[in-house]
Amino acid sequence: MNQFTLQQGSSRELELFPHIKEFALRKNNTIQLDSFTPILSETLRCYYIVDGKFEWVINGQHLVLYPGDMALVLPGHEIGGSKGYLDIGTLFWLHLEVEKIENTSGMMLGKWSKLSEMERLTIIKILLLNNMSVLKMKEAIELLHEMRAEIMNQELGYITRVNYFIDSLFIIIARRLTRQGDSRLDFPRTFMKLEQTLRQRLAHPWSVEEMAALFGLGTTAFTEKVKNYTGFSPLNYLINIRISEAIKLLKRRDVNFTDIALETGFYSSQHFSTTFKKLTGYTPGQFRKQNASNPT
Amino acid sequence: MECVITIELGTNAVRVVAFDLKGNAIGSMKGAYPTFHIEPDYSEQDPEQIFITMLYVLKNLLCEEIHPKNYNVISICFSASMHSVLAIDKHGVPLGNVITWADNRAKKEAQELKASSLGKTFYEATGTPIHPMSPLAKITWLNRNDPERFKKTYKFLTIKSYIIQQLTHGYVLDYSLASATGLMNIHTLSWEANALDHAGITSEKLPELVPVFHSPGKLRKEYQKSLGLSNSVKIIVGSSDGCLAMLGGGIWEDGKATVTIEDSGAVRVIGDKVIQDSNQRIFNYLLTEKHFVSGGPTNNGGVIFEWFVKQFGDCNSSVDIEYSMQNLIQEAMAIPIGSDGLLFLPYLLGERAPIWNPNARGSYFGINIKHERQHFIRATIEGILYEIYSIGKTLQEHSNINCLTANGSFASIPVCTQMLADIFNKPVSVGKNPDSNAQGAFLLSATDLGIFKTLDEAARSVVLASTFKPQSQNHAVYMEYFSVFERLSVKLHDEFEIIANLQQKRINVSHG
Repeated sequence: MNQFTLQQGSSRELELFPHIKEFALRKNNTIQLDSFTPILSETLRCYYIVDGKFEWVINGQHLVLYPGDMALVLPGHEIGGSKGYLDIGTLFWLHLEVEKIENTSGMMLGKWSKLSEMERLTIIKILLLNNMSVLKMKEAIELLHEMRAEIMNQELGYITRVNYFIDSLFIIIARRLTRQGDSRLDFPRTFMKLEQTLRQRLAHPWSVEEMAALFGLGTTAFTEKVKNYTGFSPLNYLINIRISEAIKLLKRRDVNFTDIALETGFYSSQHFSTTFKKLTGYTPGQFRKQNASNPT
Repeated sequence: MECVITIELGTNAVRVVAFDLKGNAIGSMKGAYPTFHIEPDYSEQDPEQIFITMLYVLKNLLCEEIHPKNYNVISICFSASMHSVLAIDKHGVPLGNVITWADNRAKKEAQELKASSLGKTFYEATGTPIHPMSPLAKITWLNRNDPERFKKTYKFLTIKSYIIQQLTHGYVLDYSLASATGLMNIHTLSWEANALDHAGITSEKLPELVPVFHSPGKLRKEYQKSLGLSNSVKIIVGSSDGCLAMLGGGIWEDGKATVTIEDSGAVRVIGDKVIQDSNQRIFNYLLTEKHFVSGGPTNNGGVIFEWFVKQFGDCNSSVDIEYSMQNLIQEAMAIPIGSDGLLFLPYLLGERAPIWNPNARGSYFGINIKHERQHFIRATIEGILYEIYSIGKTLQEHSNINCLTANGSFASIPVCTQMLADIFNKPVSVGKNPDSNAQGAFLLSATDLGIFKTLDEAARSVVLASTFKPQSQNHAVYMEYFSVFERLSVKLHDEFEIIANLQQKRINVSHG
């Protein structure tokens, strides 16, 4: 296997792939102290172990990696060798720039991808949600070799093919992650994860499609399962969370209605007021007054 | 036509059921809410989410099933899980989440109290065994470990008191739930000053004690309007899930006991006085001044079999857990009674009655080379039921048991009911209505309305559908193995503590 290292800025092969920051195959024969000290990753990194045994710390998790393992490092996470050096062995890596979504902490795969915008967003969300740094993924090696060949040979249609391989890689990773938790057999546990995500990003305009994608389920199956488990449709369940958070803010008395509305995911204070009244019988104003003046 | 509504604030969900005055369920809906485990041993829920979910479900049921059929709602009666604690400030605003019954953070506080001479005095006064889940231990924990919240607290409520206050106005707590706090003197029906003292509070910090039939006042105008209910709807404070399941199970006369197995389980009897167990193993909850529900709870009911199914069941992603569970039970039935000597101690969640040891852990014992997968399935079910039997055995030291009634999703699986009959060597009846909790809340409302003269009469109205007869040759086999089971549960005491500590240490390391 021929080693190679392509880097954005210095390797001409990557000129037409601005999203690929680094792509390499490395055979490490010697241990050099401090060759892999912890660094904060700015990109989305995938490492595939071809042979050898690597001991790393990713985002605070100590991991031992064996051949066939794929390690994932999210932007903003730290990675380094457990002992500060790179162990002996062979590995592929791919550093990919992800697109930041304006004014939010959200990220998505860039526009180079042939996936839909929703899918590009969902894939990153699945990675964030699962907080899983390592996967068994033997099938990735063929993708990586073919991708390498395409980049090096630059034959007709190679740009499309390279991007296609990256898309394929992330599709496999995302599918694997949503299945890993065995969402069907242990629905409650997976649902708990969704619940957490919803609470963390309550202001986001969630759609059923988006929630279902986090489970790796279609919307019909997802809706049925949620209904069965919680008694509510996914969107009505979300309203429960939104209104209960709004109630807490109303009781605090120092946040205005528009801020409460936006913070808990309503389009406007009008939309918040209508929904709140429909469910509780109170307008937000009445509710606040009631709970301020009537402690009994 | 008239109807009554029952609202059950359960562990994972609120269930709202409407009954006509003959006791037929005419509609029911549920809504789930999550439990947060932010640290090991912690178990919390969002009180506002519980409130909103309850309101939403109630509204949906009324709008979709009750109003269209022109039913006139005359009362709403509440049931709730025991042992919850919610601190509120002087404006009635929750200080953090509600600590649920399953929360074990007060382990140390409970252990200390139990080991002291006070523990025994408190048990005698309150009828509640000293354990980490009791509000006595939880409030003591808050006092010691969360002084800021403790100082700000205007009152310590249960989740039901909070929900009722939100719907009406008053801060009340029924004797049933209060008798599960470890803070109420079960003989005088007032807060027990010594226990309050120990927790560091006075009675002003607690809601007002009221009988189960008490009405805390009218539904607030806004809710009357949004729910489409009239001003005359009577709110009945109701009782606890344990007491109401007992009432709804129709188990009343002497010599009857009820076995309830859902996720957790319990064996209970009803009598006209408190049972004082010298080893403090038996709880006593008060339904009315003439009706005491006594028994023992286990942490390890259906939830343990569910764990087994998740780990070792058919993992094919297209099947769901119920289906997988049925298949496993089917397989287990091919194995002889007693699982050819394979025993299972089901203490995966620590244990309450009868060993009261939060450090207890599960174990398979007696495995030999001939045991197959199916033996493990059967042994798991048998282990869960042996534990139920050992609670029943403790109760029999104080109370005569001639027959049983089984309810709850696990105990009413026919195979399990038959096994219960064989293990106890007593006939076991199963109620027609599997939701005996809602049934109990209905019977309470109906008695309040005068449909029944007394609760005794109400309990007698419950129709029991089928009876499972014991097979004495099976009983003999089970008893041989049970004696080993019983000895193991005691003999392993020291090892339980060591392994639990090691596990705790590992958790701390991986969290630290």
